[in-house]
Amino acid sequence: MILLLPTLAEPQHFSLLEKLLFAGLAVASAYSFWRRFGLVLGKILQSKKDPSFHFFPIGKRVWDFVWEVLFQAKVIRERPLPGLAHAFVFWAFCAFALVTLNHCAVVLGLGFLSPEGQIGRLYFYFAAVFALACAVSILCLFVRRFLIRPKWLGENLSYQSGVIALLIFVLMATYLASFFVADASPSARTLWWIHTLALLTFLPLIPHTKHLHLVLSPATVFLSRGSFSQIPPLSGDEDFGLVAGTDLTRLVSLQAYSCVECGRCTEHCPAANTGKLLNPKEIVLGLRGYLNDLGPASAEPLLGKYNAQEAVFQCTTCGACEFQCPVGIEHLPILVGLRRGAVNTGSWADGQGTKLFLNLERGSNALGLSPAERDKFIEKAGLPLFDGTQEYCLWLGCMGGYDPKGREIVAAFARVMNYLGTSYGVLRKEKCTGDPVRRLGNDLLFQQLAEANLEALAQNKVKKIVSICPHCVRTIQEDWKEYGTPPEIEHHSEFLARYADKLPHQTSPGPSHLEKIVFHDPCYLGRYRNVYDQPRTVVALAGELIEAPRNHERSFCCGAGGGLAFLGEETGERVSHNRAAELVATGAQTIAAACPFCNTMFRDALAATGEAAPELMDIAQLAARGLPQSGAS
Amino acid sequence: MSGILVVVEQRAGRIARISWEAVAAAQHLGTQLSLPVSAVIVGAQTEALTAEIAAKALAEVVRVEHPLLAQYTSDGFSLSLHQLIQSETPTYVVLPHTYQVRDYAPALAARLGQVLISDVVAIADGPVFTRQLLQGRLNGNYRPTGSGPGFVSVQAGAFRAEAAPNAAPAAPQITTRATITTFTPTLDSAQIRTKPSEPYRGSSQTVDLGSAQRIVSVGRGIKGAENIPLVQELATALGAELAASRPICGNGWLPMERQVGSSGQTVSPKLYLAVGISGAIQHLVGMKGSQCIVAINKDPDAPIFEVADYGIVGDLFEVVPALIEAIKAATQ
Amino acid sequence: MKIVVAIKQVRERDAQVRIDAAGKWIEEGDLQFALNESDAYALEEALQLKEKSAAADGEVIVVSAGPERVGTTIREALAKGADRAIHIDCDDLGQRDALGVAHLLAAAIKPESPDLVLTGLQSEDLGLGQTGVILAELLGLPHATLILHVEKTETGLTVKRELEEGWFQSIDLPTPAVLTIQSGGNKLRYATLMGIKRAKTKEVRRVTAAELGVDTPPVVVLEQVTLPQKQKSTQILDGTAKEAAAALVEKLKFEVRVL
Repeated sequence: MILLLPTLAEPQHFSLLEKLLFAGLAVASAYSFWRRFGLVLGKILQSKKDPSFHFFPIGKRVWDFVWEVLFQAKVIRERPLPGLAHAFVFWAFCAFALVTLNHCAVVLGLGFLSPEGQIGRLYFYFAAVFALACAVSILCLFVRRFLIRPKWLGENLSYQSGVIALLIFVLMATYLASFFVADASPSARTLWWIHTLALLTFLPLIPHTKHLHLVLSPATVFLSRGSFSQIPPLSGDEDFGLVAGTDLTRLVSLQAYSCVECGRCTEHCPAANTGKLLNPKEIVLGLRGYLNDLGPASAEPLLGKYNAQEAVFQCTTCGACEFQCPVGIEHLPILVGLRRGAVNTGSWADGQGTKLFLNLERGSNALGLSPAERDKFIEKAGLPLFDGTQEYCLWLGCMGGYDPKGREIVAAFARVMNYLGTSYGVLRKEKCTGDPVRRLGNDLLFQQLAEANLEALAQNKVKKIVSICPHCVRTIQEDWKEYGTPPEIEHHSEFLARYADKLPHQTSPGPSHLEKIVFHDPCYLGRYRNVYDQPRTVVALAGELIEAPRNHERSFCCGAGGGLAFLGEETGERVSHNRAAELVATGAQTIAAACPFCNTMFRDALAATGEAAPELMDIAQLAARGLPQSGAS
Repeated sequence: MSGILVVVEQRAGRIARISWEAVAAAQHLGTQLSLPVSAVIVGAQTEALTAEIAAKALAEVVRVEHPLLAQYTSDGFSLSLHQLIQSETPTYVVLPHTYQVRDYAPALAARLGQVLISDVVAIADGPVFTRQLLQGRLNGNYRPTGSGPGFVSVQAGAFRAEAAPNAAPAAPQITTRATITTFTPTLDSAQIRTKPSEPYRGSSQTVDLGSAQRIVSVGRGIKGAENIPLVQELATALGAELAASRPICGNGWLPMERQVGSSGQTVSPKLYLAVGISGAIQHLVGMKGSQCIVAINKDPDAPIFEVADYGIVGDLFEVVPALIEAIKAATQ
Repeated sequence: MKIVVAIKQVRERDAQVRIDAAGKWIEEGDLQFALNESDAYALEEALQLKEKSAAADGEVIVVSAGPERVGTTIREALAKGADRAIHIDCDDLGQRDALGVAHLLAAAIKPESPDLVLTGLQSEDLGLGQTGVILAELLGLPHATLILHVEKTETGLTVKRELEEGWFQSIDLPTPAVLTIQSGGNKLRYATLMGIKRAKTKEVRRVTAAELGVDTPPVVVLEQVTLPQKQKSTQILDGTAKEAAAALVEKLKFEVRVL
């Protein structure tokens, strides 16, 4: 079979002039590549070392590298068609590594893959398959970028991308064409030279354009911090977060140079989607601009000319950007890092933000209410106090302890636990976990709150915590680690799903009679904790689960996270309204939430949609609804 | 003499209610200790007011008169009263707990080696003076132990002004009108170190809910923008600012600057009247500091009732018109 | 300008009140303590005056009397920007009356010869509202109370004083002077990590009452404390709309006294 197919034509002899010309061009191309790439590499290496960075466990790094880089899994999963096209280009590049090496070696008479030999021939066919796929893919990507023009790629057309696409196409086309000419023909020589020129033009373009990601992103993915939204600890007495160039770490600089400007972060960002200044892509590019102009040794503030403070404080920390990023950029440590820099040095002076901080400096909860209000609720709801004998400590959180809606959720969850015979108790005194101040970058306050709470939990000998608030769960489990060892904790959705068999299941003669319930994935439960199925199990007990267009990992934020629930009125459209409209449009009779912040945001948003708004319930309330009335205590 | 001296304060040529309450407190103390009560009024032209004071059951009314006392200054008042106290040697000096008294009385007492027992709400036998501690969460009973005159200022509303008996035949122990004397202190303009300007009103062009004393706030229960004039009328009748919860402003029924709550303004008026507001947490945190909260809501389980001092469970479209009428009747 | 700010540490505002065994004060065992609110505004005013001033010799010194625990509040003030502090170490603050406390403060402040002494209008615990005024008397300085805004002039200060019922007044006074600051005139700043770290190297001088040579017996004593009878609860006004409205107007007129 193979013998019937054409073979790749290679020019056999090169004149001295050709050899010299090639050598000269190759050196010029490599020099031009290095002039820029060396500079970038220098900026990255001159950046501060990441104090908390360690290679281990290395297994996860290797796996991420294989899965995200080699298999292109994230690129394909999140945008299947363009993702697949990109993957073909990437795979073709990989396959072409040997082909290109051989191509250049031939001119010096050092070719190691012979089109005549069995292995060489096979490999050239193998590469040809990818070349074909790549050529088709790059055409499609070209059409998408320059004719379809999705809005998240930005207003301005990237002509660089056009040139790069053309070069890639030329590379593939000349390679494929070489199969159809004779070895010694002038056509073969012409194709060889065109291919070579395209190659030598392409090389220096890499570091000068966003195609730098070709070189950097495999490293970025491999070296990433390893877990979602991991905020690195501050080190030493002079580290206040990302204040100036000197605070940029190697990881941050590497990530800034890795951005491929695909706009996935922007596409999914709640702020960018509701007319706010924040655009996560621009934050990363702002840092890159800073590094290009001023470098990592600069004492110039990072916020100002290159990135706006206003934008940085519009982030809900929903993490959609970081989750989506195909090149391993960790937006949350960057955004929170910039906030830390502003807050830890006192340069952020927002009225509402200051009020939140002062409330927590003096009091115990983010709402600034009297702890006596919490005591009153505990008494009224008949919640037992934790005395060390019970299995669970029921963590109320600020919303569960003070917010009327949050209290209803706690009461409903307590009913279910009573029904199941689970022993639990609440702490006499509880402070805010520090979630909003952690996300807003107030390390002083966060440390005080975390330490006070850790001490109280240790004194009370708490072993296991369950909470209705995903923000509390996340902060206790992950963020407190910086200051001690938090007890085991789970979200009530995980608890309820575990006991789903023992809870009443709503059944009806036909599915059409079941109440349609749409579930909203809270960011801090889904993306932050990877819990998607458990709340759905609970919803399915009460009715027919339906999905919103944006669900699971792609769920759209309610607008409350990142401390924004406590800041002032938003600019542009309210994030909560955007999401609520989407949930209402599903036609569900009930919206199920699993976070008291989402709940309170939607409550307001639904009020604005008018009389026919669906009912809004927490999953605990849905679970409690099915209980026999006598089960109430 | 030994006796009780009560300082009556004038403001813009009038004697405020709190001064009559101080007179009542002094008379109460006088009865308890069987001591005569005399009143003092400080100023440059106090003649007209003196007659009004003399109508009360008092032994004496002293006019402390000096041109330098035309406008209140801490130095002028404490110097003059210091001289008067040294000449009269009262057992107690009773004052109304006003901003003015708070400004000079502690210095005056200190000059005599004494401490003012301020903001007193009750006087028991002993005498023992009760004042509030920890912002009203605790009562403290104070007793003066010094040898000099005791200084006491009384809280507004703690004693009933109507209880200050007039020098009428109905009061048998008092048979004559108080005698009026004038005391001229030795004052030099160099002794008065502060130069106050004429008082002025705070500007009120923009909506400033933060400093409003009365607020009528409206929530979702109002149903539609067309019903806003109803609550506006209530606010006008009460002399109150109109405010709203987030959904109302979010819908554009009222401007954003009238929003009370976590994403709007934080208010602490004397009266906060919440109409059709259920009491979401975002709203509660913005108004929990109000001195008196009144809620009108048709849902008896609405969380707003948990923080309210007074509540009316009912349809606001019936209650509000009735309330407007009742307020108009009461204030006319 | 050298500014001294007298600050007080008070119990957390909303904590539950339990009377101690002797019935003379409250249980303080598991209480948390914080900077008195109007003192926080006094500190803020001082910091802003220093920051606004072109002169480089501005200094803000905080003075606080109380036991060991007061140290945390002093640190907080230093973290927010005060330059140094004097801690008057005494465990018997409760046994001293307002005059006694002012004597302590005056003895500590006098040697500093400040241009301005600021303090909060009143404390959240005792609520006497006198310390600043007595301090002025003891230091022989002019004073003004209920101040919302301070401005430096050629000859001294112009201050904005709050009067009752929405009225204000501006007062000129020479320096040195004592001012008591009303809450709300400025926006407070929050404590920052950088501030706390910088505060570590700032001076806190500790002196005792004996070292200051102050021993003033009280002329007023707090004999006993009791819990107020009335607990706040919601009164629901019943009846028809008309009856309820009439009942409410009664309450507003005679109990709330806003009509």
